[in-house]
Amino acid sequence: MTDFYQTGIITTLHQLGKPSLERMESELLGFSKTKPVALVLPALYSEFEGPAMPGIVQELSKVKYLNEVVLALDQASEDDFKRVREFMAPIQAPVKIIHNKGKRIGEVYETLKRNGLDAGPQGKGRSAWLAYGYVLARGQSDVIALHDCDIVTYSRELLARLCYPIANPNLNYVFCKGYYSRVTNKMNGRVTRLLVTPLVRSLQQLTGQHGFLEFLDSFRYALAGEFSMSADMARINRIPSDWGLEVGSLAEVYRNYSPRRVCQVDIATTYEHKHQVLSADNAEKGLMKMAVDICKSIFRTLASEGVVFSEGLFRSLIVTYLRQAEDTLMKYEADATINGLAFDRHEEAKAVEAFTNAIAMAAQAFVENPMGNPLIPNWNRVSAAIPDIFEVLKLAVDEDNK
Amino acid sequence: MMDFLNLILDPLREMLLQFREFLPNLLAMLVIFALGFLLARLLRTLLVKFLGAVQFDSWSDRMGFTTVMRKGDLWMKPSHILGAIVFWLLVIVTLMVGLGALKVAAIDSLVGQFFSYLPRVFSAAMILLIGYLVSGFVSRTVLIAAANGGFHYAKLLAEAVRVLLLVMILAMVMEQLQIATSIVLAAFSIVFGGIVIALAIAFGVGGIGAARRIIEKEFAEDRPEKTPDDVEHL
Repeated sequence: MTDFYQTGIITTLHQLGKPSLERMESELLGFSKTKPVALVLPALYSEFEGPAMPGIVQELSKVKYLNEVVLALDQASEDDFKRVREFMAPIQAPVKIIHNKGKRIGEVYETLKRNGLDAGPQGKGRSAWLAYGYVLARGQSDVIALHDCDIVTYSRELLARLCYPIANPNLNYVFCKGYYSRVTNKMNGRVTRLLVTPLVRSLQQLTGQHGFLEFLDSFRYALAGEFSMSADMARINRIPSDWGLEVGSLAEVYRNYSPRRVCQVDIATTYEHKHQVLSADNAEKGLMKMAVDICKSIFRTLASEGVVFSEGLFRSLIVTYLRQAEDTLMKYEADATINGLAFDRHEEAKAVEAFTNAIAMAAQAFVENPMGNPLIPNWNRVSAAIPDIFEVLKLAVDEDNK
Repeated sequence: MMDFLNLILDPLREMLLQFREFLPNLLAMLVIFALGFLLARLLRTLLVKFLGAVQFDSWSDRMGFTTVMRKGDLWMKPSHILGAIVFWLLVIVTLMVGLGALKVAAIDSLVGQFFSYLPRVFSAAMILLIGYLVSGFVSRTVLIAAANGGFHYAKLLAEAVRVLLLVMILAMVMEQLQIATSIVLAAFSIVFGGIVIALAIAFGVGGIGAARRIIEKEFAEDRPEKTPDDVEHL
């Protein structure tokens, strides 16, 4: 059982006691009459061959309050697409699958591209963005929830807790991020523990109190891939197409809404999904790529808020971060020890070294190109440029699913 | 015996002679087919490149033509579809010209009918194109005007106007193409007339009170004003 302490400038919704799932689901069923809920699932075909997806589908088949499920499927052939349709059949809510490699969706991407609206390279960001577009095109859901498809420890309680703060009209939240402890027999979640938190606090130390840093530091698990939001937010928020997806999305939430309308919710006592390798010597893959993209996203957001990044600031940042990370590492070692968890201090220290390099690389990339990869434009802008885009997208998905 | 052989060989000789006369026509037809096919391919390539250069696809996306194609489950670039239409039109024309080169009376009349029908196809296509643009424009205007006027069912009204205009345009196209003209005309008259009568009845019945008030007001204005009393109160 967790404490009830409220951290930062956003609301934290803890899991206190043993809340009844039946009660929550029955309330959600009532809320869904006025605020229908859509679930967006960005997935790779390989995830259907792994252990996670069968469990997720089995749990989702028991959920009654969902208005629709939109699965954005990547890396799948025509035959794979057909298999996935059969696989998703047990789910009670209407399921629509966006076949990202299909001819029709390919033409939708082509239409966007020729009108100067690049949806970016293939990835979770692009998939999620297109799925939001489809939900908006149908216009039948007011709440959008999203979670990854590699969660091995998935239970429908996770989804219920994730949707509840936005679906409940009395709570008046527009964005809700999930959090959980990434603990098995050891502590996981290295990028959050050893990069994001120490980096944000180092930046606070160097640049002083800043709204966005305070906002980011308020999240217990800023890199969690699970969140829910009002459908209106999907219309106005832009999305990064790289690994800066989570941080970049939070930056957009911070830009467009008051922190009073943002919350985080404890969605699971245990959470396990696939792990990325560190690949410390290759910044183009694994956790290093993720770390570089996240750092660039933070730097760019702060720069857009008026923070001036000089060479001296970046030099100091690396040193400050290293000190912060080392202190953090000691705290986690103590935490692991008291809980009887395995803690490989050497591996953790190696991760900190790799992340220090990632910050240096991100700083260099930022100095060379402060704009970086543009965010995927929001749907309001897309529909202004191509008035019929929602209709075309809906036609493409519906035809694929016939 | 020779007479009998001649009886058999004469028709064969006749046929060979006719074939020799016909052979140049056949060769001309094949050459026309080959050249026409190559020309059609060349024109398609040039047209697609030209349309790409003038950003026709992007324009088509904004004007809603792409959506019309997608509704018909056509998922190619608009410029490629237009290129394909031109290509197949040219192939058909080539086929007709080629068949005309055979100098066969029955085919000649068919080719003549085809070429006399072409202007109708062209004008029908123009009516469809311009009609679609106009219907979109009018529908958008109605939507904006109705929404600004606080009308609750602005979108429904705009969509109804668009559908009505499209029905009218399709009737015009069918009439132009001379496809079941009498049936199209009758069906169109019945549908359009029915809608107008329905609207007239709805407006007439619903507007009785309003009409009475307007007429009464009109009469009241026409009546001479009362002459003021000569006696004034102190």
